[in-house]
Amino acid sequence: MPANADSHDAMIRFRGAGVTYPNGVVGLEDVSLDIRRGEFVVIVGSSGAGKSTFLRTINGLTPLSAGSIEVAGQPVPRKQGRELRQLRARIGMVFQDFRLVRRVSVLNNVLIGRVARVAGWRSVLNLWPRADVELAFGALERVGIVDKAYTRAGQLSGGQQQRVGIARALAQEPEVILADEPVASLDPVTCHQVMEDLLRINRELGITTLVNLHFLDLARRYGQRIIGLQQGRLVFDGAGSDVTDADFQRIYGRRPEEDDFLQEARA
Amino acid sequence: MNRPAPPDRQLGLWFTIAAGLVAMTVWSGVSIGFSISELVCNAPGGSRLLRESWPPDFAFLPRLIGPFLETVQIALIGTVVGAVIAIPVAVLAARPVSPNWLTWILDRNFMNILRTLPDLFWAMLFATAVGFGPLAGALALSVFSVAVISKLFSESVEAIDLNLTEAVRASGGSWLQMIGLGALPQVWPQYAAYVLYAFELNVRGSMVLGLVGAGGIGMILETQRANFEYERVAMIILAVLVVVLLIEQFSIALRRRLT
Repeated sequence: MPANADSHDAMIRFRGAGVTYPNGVVGLEDVSLDIRRGEFVVIVGSSGAGKSTFLRTINGLTPLSAGSIEVAGQPVPRKQGRELRQLRARIGMVFQDFRLVRRVSVLNNVLIGRVARVAGWRSVLNLWPRADVELAFGALERVGIVDKAYTRAGQLSGGQQQRVGIARALAQEPEVILADEPVASLDPVTCHQVMEDLLRINRELGITTLVNLHFLDLARRYGQRIIGLQQGRLVFDGAGSDVTDADFQRIYGRRPEEDDFLQEARA
Repeated sequence: MNRPAPPDRQLGLWFTIAAGLVAMTVWSGVSIGFSISELVCNAPGGSRLLRESWPPDFAFLPRLIGPFLETVQIALIGTVVGAVIAIPVAVLAARPVSPNWLTWILDRNFMNILRTLPDLFWAMLFATAVGFGPLAGALALSVFSVAVISKLFSESVEAIDLNLTEAVRASGGSWLQMIGLGALPQVWPQYAAYVLYAFELNVRGSMVLGLVGAGGIGMILETQRANFEYERVAMIILAVLVVVLLIEQFSIALRRRLT
């Protein structure tokens, strides 16, 4: 079931990874798996199953309390500092709530993706090097909203804001993109557009992409590989096309209900 | 169900508080010699003063322009210097973004000390250092501005959306970038409003400091009063009233557009 453990193209490698929060809640427990370079992986599970924790351990936003994670052969540092910042520079992140500075232009939001490559004082004074501005424009073109470059981010619709969020991740020229419930705040149509964007970027640029999703139909449709988590444990790992309702029942610990689907009736 | 008994009205407590307040007021009044009768008896003196102040000496007005400019200039320098220094002071004292506990506690106490000491104290301090004059006034108001702006601004910074700062960190941003690109852009409008507010306070502060020798309109007021030139004093007070009102209205209008 897991990818070939000895393969050199393992982009992300979990080994006995566990997270126990200071309040005693277990976010992740003994997860071991490999994610190959260029894979498009969807993580499913009910809320509180550890999907967010899983993604956040990869860029060190949530520190591991057990085991290890390697990204491109390099262990994720446990302490804040230069090493961790350099790792994060290679991993773009997309959030459910977009996390854009609403008062600031779309372009400036996308430029935040360049922070790790630009001198601190230059970025803070908004004196971005020409090449980085060029990259930001390129990222906006790729998600099709370059015409909004000088609009305030807060004036855009939800779907457009999420595209800016994706462009910000792209501006990092990342090897990995982590998308934490990227469509949970969007309507069904926009939902598919954003998923298509992520899939297209994965194919065109070969960026390893991990997406947390709540809806089962979306997971089945887009997940080339699906990872199921339940109470922080890995309970499913397989191809999206193979997932049966029985598998979902295993992941969710109950029969799938209407709320677990975005729109289409269950086949 | 039984109706609950009404709560104890604690009459004894209220009586004690009221009695304590009355006793303190009487004690204070007697100590400083406050008496209504004296106020009434001295009313003729007051009315003579008012009569001598009328009409205000409008011929004196042109000679006020220079000092007025100086007062506003002192206030402006104090505000600008203070506003710049207040940014790091406020950020380091905002708990969620302060780099560590020690910095936070030190900076908070620093801010408290600045706020506790009145601007007159700072004026005296700087006057002994650089001599009485506009420079001492501007320095005193700089410190005063840091105190006012940093206190208000650090509360704004504490209330920012921390998810945005996390987005900057997730991209590999440093602490400085997290502040400059994630935190501060959320609160620039509030910052501008606080700076304008500090400027209003500084224009008034600069006049009071003039009374103790920091230059500007306050100093002219003090010399004219000492020479019993009450028509000129009246003119100055009238002009101060107009200028302060104008600056306040201007500032309020700007602040309203900001937030």
